[in-house]
Amino acid sequence: MELRLPFLFLVATLLGGAALSAERIPPAPTRYFNDYAGVVSGPVAGQLNAQLEQFERASSNQLLVAIYPKMESDSSVEDYTVRVAQAWKAGQTGKNNGAVLFAFMAEHKLYLQVGYGLESVLPDATAKRIIEREIVPRFRAHDIDGGMTAAVNAMIAATKGEYTGTGSTVADGRRANGNIKIENSAWVNLLFLVAVLVFAFRAIRRAGRNPTLLMNPGRRSNSWINFGGSSDSGSSWGGSSGGGDFSGGGGSFGGGGAGGSW
Amino acid sequence: MKTVLIVLGVLAAIAVVGFLFLTGQYNNLVNRAQAVDAQWAQVQNVYQRRADLIPNLVATVSGAANFEKSTLTEIAEARASVGKVQINNSGTPNAAQLAQFEQAQGALSSALSRLLVVAENYPSLKATANFSELQAQLEGTENRISVERGRFNDLARDYNTAIKRVPAVFFAGMFGFGEKPYFTAKPGADTPPAVSFDFNKKP
Repeated sequence: MELRLPFLFLVATLLGGAALSAERIPPAPTRYFNDYAGVVSGPVAGQLNAQLEQFERASSNQLLVAIYPKMESDSSVEDYTVRVAQAWKAGQTGKNNGAVLFAFMAEHKLYLQVGYGLESVLPDATAKRIIEREIVPRFRAHDIDGGMTAAVNAMIAATKGEYTGTGSTVADGRRANGNIKIENSAWVNLLFLVAVLVFAFRAIRRAGRNPTLLMNPGRRSNSWINFGGSSDSGSSWGGSSGGGDFSGGGGSFGGGGAGGSW
Repeated sequence: MKTVLIVLGVLAAIAVVGFLFLTGQYNNLVNRAQAVDAQWAQVQNVYQRRADLIPNLVATVSGAANFEKSTLTEIAEARASVGKVQINNSGTPNAAQLAQFEQAQGALSSALSRLLVVAENYPSLKATANFSELQAQLEGTENRISVERGRFNDLARDYNTAIKRVPAVFFAGMFGFGEKPYFTAKPGADTPPAVSFDFNKKP
């Protein structure tokens, strides 16, 4: 009971801190076309999502659209969106060929963040043109569906041909391989340390029983821990098999792109 | 005999673990220092990108009828002074060099923003596709600069924290892991610039 009170206090402090900070970096979206504001009609959103997924299959470029009711940050739109795009990791590792089009309905603001690898085919001036000529006039006329369709088509047209795809998406690959991936080398280090300790301990115990073993380590008991393990290939990840979902490939963003407002 | 062996074994285990631990600590510092240096290269890269835009911008602007020549000479001077800043090629500059670099780049920034303000007075110039394209590129480049500077500061903070923590603090100095400088906000960046239009002035 004495332990629980400080713990609760800690949790409360953490939660309070999170609530106080005005900025929220939204979690990575699960689709290519994400209308969190509910302003795009269902069929159009579904069709654009399918189009963008198909585009990743064909080109490996990950183009995303995210429409929010309002911007949950006090920073400027370019500063906030680059951090969001970076957190979502759109684009493939090494190619950095992602781009995210943000729209914030309450602020009437748009920003197209372009990953490092697409800056050559989608330079700032082109991003600006897409926003000023394709989106803004249609949004002003309250044609959100038309603006988004035109923007997606223009983004695809601009970035087509820069990279070639593998015929599958990152999300396809995750589904096929399972989601198990050891990327944290700290775990490997820890395992190694444990192995060394276990080995040293066993050597000492055996040496205690039979001192000649220290000089002659050739003989081993076969009760050695099997660190290789039976290779456990992750079984199918189950769940959604329909596709159409997005998974970030590890791309990076450096603030390229342009913004606008309607 | 048995006790001696056990003591020896324990000592050997401690030595091995200690060595592995220190190696890990050292390699961690190396990785962090390299990350800061790589980010510094990225910072220079985006500043270079801006410098490369300037000739094009100046050419476009000076094509406009009787454009204020003083802003153009100011930009040319600021760009030249940026080129004069000497920075060692091996990695991140020291604090004094970074301050000098920032000052020169800051002068160029303010000269460029003044040029864009002055350009507002030339509607025919603003209407050209060339100028609006350059303006978009310039805005994007300024945005990239602030992104890369922010990341540089983050990485430098990670590194500086790492070298000041126990146990790295005991050997960081010995192996030459010095503190890395930060970019600072421009003095006066929190106050909006005063813009005055003098429409009677003849350029």
